[in-house]
Amino acid sequence: MVITALPSIASMAGATRVLRGIAITNPVGDRSLTREQEVELRRAITERALTMLETEFSRRSVWELKPGEATTTP
Amino acid sequence: MKVLHYVNQFFAGMGGEDAASTPPVLIPGAVGPGRGLGLEISATLACGDDYFAEHEDDALGQLLAWLDEARPDVLVCGPAFGSGRYGYACGTLAREAFRLGIVSVCGMDPQNPGVLAAQGKAYIVPTSANVAGMRDALPKMAALTVALAAGEDPSAAGPFLPRHVRRNAFAAETGADRAVELLLAKIAGDTRSEIPIPDPGRIPPGPVLDIAAATIALVTESGCVPRGNPDQLPSRHARSWHRYAIDGVASLSPEHYESVHGGFELGAASEDPNRLVPLDALRQLEASRRVGTVHGWLYTTTGNGTPVAAAALFGQAIAAELNEEGVDGVILTGT
Repeated sequence: MVITALPSIASMAGATRVLRGIAITNPVGDRSLTREQEVELRRAITERALTMLETEFSRRSVWELKPGEATTTP
Repeated sequence: MKVLHYVNQFFAGMGGEDAASTPPVLIPGAVGPGRGLGLEISATLACGDDYFAEHEDDALGQLLAWLDEARPDVLVCGPAFGSGRYGYACGTLAREAFRLGIVSVCGMDPQNPGVLAAQGKAYIVPTSANVAGMRDALPKMAALTVALAAGEDPSAAGPFLPRHVRRNAFAAETGADRAVELLLAKIAGDTRSEIPIPDPGRIPPGPVLDIAAATIALVTESGCVPRGNPDQLPSRHARSWHRYAIDGVASLSPEHYESVHGGFELGAASEDPNRLVPLDALRQLEASRRVGTVHGWLYTTTGNGTPVAAAALFGQAIAAELNEEGVDGVILTGT
């Protein structure tokens, strides 16, 4: 699976499991947060990445970070 | 017009998988599908698919020596349809023949790995995935061969897969006019591009079944390397990827890791390289048994100005290694 802030490019290039990252310069971090908050964010992103790996997909899919947010299929 | 034809052991009539280890042979005249091309084939080169895959340097050395001696106007390869090993041999041979100044016409399914192996150095006629498309493929390959041998524009002779060659041409309107036109069209719901991006049409691979027992690898194109960049990974147009041992490494500290990527601002990454590759978080999840094991190597390259075809070759090579090492899943971070 791929974590990137540019999910449409990853999908066009053929990636099948894509998770939207935070930013181009820091896909799995956010320097505006406190250290503790950022570590927690990164743990949550990585946890979501693992969930994508263990999920069966029939089509190429892009997930947002929060489970409740829209899931799109390009 | 002098034409040589490359086929595998099966189409040369030497046998099936039992003959796949046959080293290269040179056969006078046309054999098998070569007879259906309707061209005068001066000689046929044949090689077992397994032999080519397992002894690529030896096979290429012999085949290229024969090609160099014969100096044909065109080398025809295949058609290989959906056969991966055969297609790979065709694409690789065509690419190397190009370096000798010999132009090639191949036939294969657009998803065949041989398309990537050819690296745009061959004219590849798209075919069906199986041999049922033989009768359709041969006349198209022949027409392209005749045009190339005559020095004519090949694009008038029929379809071939994109060769990723860009040529300068004059457009009627300036780039600014065309960009505004594309933007207005997009706002109106018509999304177009002057540079078409091929749809690889892949379907997702199956899930990792038991992730609490799985080995997960970290791969990145963010240019993340040990501080000091020991292998001189370039900041753009990388032609290689590297791997670094992360056994026992809890976190990608800025004292020991950095990014050399030249395609984005490195401030956030320099403060904490875990913002590019979530090693610290994955270690936490390993400790809490959410995931089995973090693979002992971090795979890295710089994805900056890299053609998709070249990046795909990196990916294939990395995936082959990871497969061999028993890795079950990959988290790849992109910038």
